[in-house]
Amino acid sequence: MIAARGIVKRYGEVVALDGLNLAVRRGTIYALLGPNGAGKSTLIGILTTLIVPTAGEASVAGADIATQPDAVRRAIGVTFQDLVLDRDLTGRQVLDIHGRLYGQSAALRRRKIDELVALTQLADAIDRTTGTYSGGMRRRLELARGLMTEPQLLFLDEPTQGLDPQNRAAIWAYLRALNRDRGLTILLTTHAMEEAEALADTVGIIDGGRLVAEGTTAELTADIPPPPAQPPRASLEDAFLKLTGRALRD
Amino acid sequence: MEATLTIWSKHMAKFFRNREELGGLLLQPILWVGLFGIGMSALVGGAAGGDYLTFMLPGILALTALGGAVGGGMQLLDERLRGILKEYLVAPIPRLSILLGNAASTVTKALFQTGIILLIGALIGARPGPSPLGWLAGLALLVLFTLGFAGLALAVAARSSSIMGYHGMIFLFNLPLLFASSALYPLAAVPGWMRIVALLNPTTYLIDGLRSLTFGGTGMFHPALTFAVTAGFALLGTALALVSFRRAIRL
Repeated sequence: MIAARGIVKRYGEVVALDGLNLAVRRGTIYALLGPNGAGKSTLIGILTTLIVPTAGEASVAGADIATQPDAVRRAIGVTFQDLVLDRDLTGRQVLDIHGRLYGQSAALRRRKIDELVALTQLADAIDRTTGTYSGGMRRRLELARGLMTEPQLLFLDEPTQGLDPQNRAAIWAYLRALNRDRGLTILLTTHAMEEAEALADTVGIIDGGRLVAEGTTAELTADIPPPPAQPPRASLEDAFLKLTGRALRD
Repeated sequence: MEATLTIWSKHMAKFFRNREELGGLLLQPILWVGLFGIGMSALVGGAAGGDYLTFMLPGILALTALGGAVGGGMQLLDERLRGILKEYLVAPIPRLSILLGNAASTVTKALFQTGIILLIGALIGARPGPSPLGWLAGLALLVLFTLGFAGLALAVAARSSSIMGYHGMIFLFNLPLLFASSALYPLAAVPGWMRIVALLNPTTYLIDGLRSLTFGGTGMFHPALTFAVTAGFALLGTALALVSFRRAIRL
């Protein structure tokens, strides 16, 4: 689904990506892990045709990013690291306008909005302006927008950044269901290890603009000695969820 | 075309929901015509042939077009700085449609505002001309002029890194275009060097066209020249916006 070879991106003296190679199989979830400034968002920008690479080539859903950008754009959905919603529009308008940009008919837009509002549990808020939404609701609306056009491939740049455990768990559940039930391919970036472990079939670790390791969680951790044994106990997140419940708080 | 229409309708939906923008847009013309117009009329009415309100109204229309265009640039800048522009850029739509959508919403808002100015002006004593053709010609001139300045504003907005920077740059265009023209005073009353600058300024041609074609006054220029200059300004502004925007999105 994604094949990138020798991707280089330079901003003056700064090298954001340094000959990066990447392959993502159709129907899988691929998590790109890396510290801040490793080049994750730059790579997403290049693969989604927002940024022109300095060198290298890549194809997304069978289309070349340089010569067939519109074919790439038709095949993908994207949610960005920053929340990019118009605060003066309602959630329904945000989704409707997105569908119109892709030439969807009014009937299709209505059907997709109903379906996605149910999926992302936004029924009570969809006719309110997004300025009244909580951070979790905005993230869920952005996810719904990314899915509006039935993409083959979904790019998620830090999809659960800044969310409470309830919203994070809800978004993970949507993503697993979309991958399992519709075969949606997902490339997500994160620097939350537990997110990569919870979702990804394959994890790539990026640092200094290069892919330094790739594999399943088990493969990547096989050669790492386990930490000293500790008495078994639940995590603080387990305690938090037990005390506050798993229901979304919007 | 569909994408342009979508972006235009989105901006208009935001505009009608944003009470601050809507209120400001409604109040500005009232203040300009009601306070500036009446005050200046008492002061310099004689220099403009006695009916300063009718003389000044085309200038206020030009000022409104300039203000509307600045607002259109702000819309693009805001969407760029907040990342909303990325939604358009990852969609399979022509890049030109993003600019055209912005320009279309800018012109629509400016025309909405000029309609209010004309209404208030007529209510307090300005005397517009009776010819429907003259009104159509005035409308066309206003659209072309707003497009031209919207192009300049969008070109600046496409590259500015902050709202302050944008306003600093845009006033370099905005104020000379307004004050070095015949918008607020007759050209016969200004120094020679300023008259030459005013003759190089498309605002002068817009105002002259409005005064002669729409308000039934006497014009300095032939209407063909007036239309050629404002159409050229519209083309120049659009071209500048396109070049600047293309450079900005080629990251």
